[in-house]
Amino acid sequence: MSFREKCAWISFVLTLLLVAGVALGGHLGTAGLHYFLTLLIGFVLLQVVLRVIIARQAPKEARTPKDEREQLIDLKAARIGFYSLVAGVLLAMFAVHLHGNPWSGLHTMVFAVLIAWAIKLGAEIVYYRRGR
Amino acid sequence: VPPLPITNTIRKLRFEHGEMTQQDLAERVGVTRQTINAIELGKYSPSLEVAFRISAVFGARLEEVFSYEGAVGSGRPKSP
Repeated sequence: MSFREKCAWISFVLTLLLVAGVALGGHLGTAGLHYFLTLLIGFVLLQVVLRVIIARQAPKEARTPKDEREQLIDLKAARIGFYSLVAGVLLAMFAVHLHGNPWSGLHTMVFAVLIAWAIKLGAEIVYYRRGR
Repeated sequence: VPPLPITNTIRKLRFEHGEMTQQDLAERVGVTRQTINAIELGKYSPSLEVAFRISAVFGARLEEVFSYEGAVGSGRPKSP
């Protein structure tokens, strides 16, 4: 498995954990925001630590810039993630309209961003597995 | 995943050039080993620039390394 595929797996699993964490934390309010920020900081720190560990296993590969196939995979996956994000943002607008509560819109928006990111990473993994 | 209409002789050429590894070829071409593997297995069609760079490493003409097996003159190749 290539360095970039390992990175995609790490980000994918951690993003799913973050989604689960946000879901378990209930609605984002003033108190929920602190909980979310703590989760987010933990998410970033774990990403950095795990990426440093795998970069140490393959330092040469980690230093090499993305080649044309990897850039293409990144772009194709980002396009899928973008459509998911648009759908999520529209859903968030609906949530605000239905509940009349801006926090519920923010909550849905945060979910939309995280799920779109997870979909983008999932698509990347599928493309890496397929070779293109 | 439908197979690509472009085939290549990279594997054969690597062995004819002192059993060159995919990693060696990748470093000389400027791509990752996984990309060379994907090209060799016909999973990925390289850009014209990378195709020329691969041919140059083997000192061969482009058509000695890559060949097009798809239909000509019918627009985009149809998947089987």
